Amino acid sequence: MFNNIFKKQRYYFDSEGLLVVDMSPSSAVHYQEAVQAATQDAGFSGEDMVINFGPQHPSTHGVLRLEVVLEGELVKKVTPHLGYLHRNFEKHAEYIPYNEIVPYTDRLDYLAAMNMNLGYVLAVEKLLGLTELPERVEYIRVICAEFNRIASHLMAIGTFGLDAGAITPFLWAFRDREKILDLFEWLSGARMLYNYIWVGGVARDLPDGWVEKAKEFLDYFEPMMVEFNNLLTHNHIFIERTAHIGILPADVAINYAATGPVLRGSGVKWDLRRDQPYSIYDRFEFDIPVGEGMYGPVGSAFDRYWVRIREIEESVKILRQALDQIPEGDVFEAIPRKIRPPAGKEAYFRSEAPRGEIGFYIRSNGSDIPDRVKCRSSCFVNISLIDEISRGQLVADLVINIGSIDIVLGEVDR
Amino acid sequence: MRTYFRNVYRSLITILIGMRQTWRHLFTPSVTLQYPHEKWDLPVGTRQQLFVNIDDCIGCYKCARICPVDCIYIDTVKAKPDEDLGKASTGNPIRQHVVRFDIDMFKCCYCNFCTTVCPTDCIYMTDKYETSVYDRSNGIYHFSKYAPDYAAKLIVDEKEAEAAKAAARAAAKEKAMAAKKAKVAE
Amino acid sequence: MTPQDIADKVQKQFGDAVLEFDAEALDPVIKVNPEAWFDICEFLKTDADLEFDNLVCLSGFDYGAGKELGIIIHLYSFPKRHSIAVKADLPRENPRIRSIESLWRTADWHEREVFDLYGVVFDGHPDLRRILCPDDWEGYPLRKDYEVQEFYHGIRVPYKEDWEEFDTFLKNPRRGHFVFQFERTLPANGNAKPKEKPSP
Ligand code: SF4
Ligand code: SF4
Repeated sequence: MFNNIFKKQRYYFDSEGLLVVDMSPSSAVHYQEAVQAATQDAGFSGEDMVINFGPQHPSTHGVLRLEVVLEGELVKKVTPHLGYLHRNFEKHAEYIPYNEIVPYTDRLDYLAAMNMNLGYVLAVEKLLGLTELPERVEYIRVICAEFNRIASHLMAIGTFGLDAGAITPFLWAFRDREKILDLFEWLSGARMLYNYIWVGGVARDLPDGWVEKAKEFLDYFEPMMVEFNNLLTHNHIFIERTAHIGILPADVAINYAATGPVLRGSGVKWDLRRDQPYSIYDRFEFDIPVGEGMYGPVGSAFDRYWVRIREIEESVKILRQALDQIPEGDVFEAIPRKIRPPAGKEAYFRSEAPRGEIGFYIRSNGSDIPDRVKCRSSCFVNISLIDEISRGQLVADLVINIGSIDIVLGEVDR
Repeated sequence: MRTYFRNVYRSLITILIGMRQTWRHLFTPSVTLQYPHEKWDLPVGTRQQLFVNIDDCIGCYKCARICPVDCIYIDTVKAKPDEDLGKASTGNPIRQHVVRFDIDMFKCCYCNFCTTVCPTDCIYMTDKYETSVYDRSNGIYHFSKYAPDYAAKLIVDEKEAEAAKAAARAAAKEKAMAAKKAKVAE
Repeated sequence: MTPQDIADKVQKQFGDAVLEFDAEALDPVIKVNPEAWFDICEFLKTDADLEFDNLVCLSGFDYGAGKELGIIIHLYSFPKRHSIAVKADLPRENPRIRSIESLWRTADWHEREVFDLYGVVFDGHPDLRRILCPDDWEGYPLRKDYEVQEFYHGIRVPYKEDWEEFDTFLKNPRRGHFVFQFERTLPANGNAKPKEKPSP
């Protein structure tokens, strides 16, 4: 509704590239009339205010624009506008062979590139029917995915604290995340966009001494999480600030197909790693943390944050088991020479990334280039909840609600 | 009223707990680095600026073909039968002049595919990462060892040779056609 | 329930509207008549034995230039723990289908995305706007016969610089498809210089 009004051009570029500004007084009058008519249509009184939140706002975690209708300080409606980072990954994927798409998947959720690689690669392997992989490859994949989950959650909880006004925890989270990135750099050569997990294998074997260093990191990291909790999680002001806002009931979460910590924060015990185990996740023992509503209603912003904190602990558990059990072996032997799934075959595979389920729907046309790659991104689905959970709350809480959903715009816009 | 005071008390206590952590960390060594003056040591196999050892390149186009963003531009000219271009250090015979080998480092996404597929390992990643330049054309790295005019001459030569070959082929074909026609006419 | 049971149940209810069932596929998929799309979805959601309360993914696809468009949904049921996929083919000219946004709210944005990228119109959708591309973008980018517009508000869209012609690379047969996005022409080994400033 509003969008249609704001779409009306008051200036444009003509074909020569010159700026043409429409300044006739009548059009200005029309514009105001149109705005008034539209606001009345939508049931907003003259007291309502429409503000644009973003796209260049530090607390929108990227280039997200929210069109917020306010009544005083209360939020009446939030309309997200996406696409500022849109680059049509799916079209690109229709032009390059299967294995060359992996670096593009890095750029979806750039804070959890390993999980994106893993999700895509598992989808292609499902399409190829490639189920028997060397043990070592499976272990390396799980280790990388869990390390990246920790790194991504550290970023999420750090910036969540920042949204609530706590600056120190952010820097602490970053310090530990940096250490994980160092491990990844040693492993794959890159700090953020790894292109490490390939179809049928991984790009490099673990370097000598990596496992020991990783264990060392875990020993260092666990006390750090305790400190972090003392600093932020148990802080009463922080709890009071977050535990009563952004309430998301479980049935709404399911209806919106929310996944990941957003769903679990509402008390639904659902995790693909346990419920539809892929790779070798069925070999490890770990809990699925859910929101418990310790300080307020279940499904609050604090619950989503709390689920992330607990998930970090569970990831550490998985990592300890995996690092102890990792066998020797050749990591390259199962990498296929040619990836040519039969024509017309299609597969949908979903896996658990830090921000929710990442699903890839792939159709093949018999050549080495896919016919269609659809990325069902978790952030894209989760951010559509923002209107639902922040309606009727203060505009200051909107920032916290966005932070608690934890979006990465690279994945939302694709 | 009681809740109010309990909240104040709880807030103060938890802040003090947090402050204790902060205070303790005041005496631990700092984790930051004064970047331009100090630098981390990068691990082996880090992925930064690309480099091509052009003497080893056999012009096989493998790297250009696998590059997902198409930022390697290669042109080759086939060596003449009597020319010997030697061998790469891995033993692969070089059969073509690589008259052009440009990498657009602005487009490169540092995915490491090109270095993986290269049969002679002549394209590799170095640990140089401070590569900002003032002009966009300086981000395109030219690795070919041929001077531009010599390269142009090679290309022209090849084109001429090809044209000559094509002409010869056409002439032969025409002759055959004529002979056939004559036969049919008979 | 196994996918076969689900398909049988739907078949029993709707008869001819179920065109085919592929149990061999990696994700068993029921192909249905687009006319009955909404009713079948509603049945899948509300039936006491099926209870598909989770729409996992909704995606469009294109069979190829000149052929039909398709739309596929992947469903999962939290209470019953089973899953199924449903798909329908739509004509290329004026593809329309009834929106399932009222059944699963998550379909709202997914349908907007399919509308944006494939041009499928969802009847009954409350707010069918483009979601990823700008509102006044031309064409539907994920269709196979899509051609990118030359200018958007005076900004040149295909990445191309008015540099001197050099085309060996572009003539490479395998690379031809990429030209529209990544065309850049350079002289052999010379220093590349813009011939003239690209128009804004
Ligand atoms: S690193 Fe990747 S993007 Fe860069 S030149 Fe090599 S293949 Fe191309
Ligand atoms: S793959 Fe290696 S040898 Fe082949 S063209 Fe590229 S750099 Fe030269």
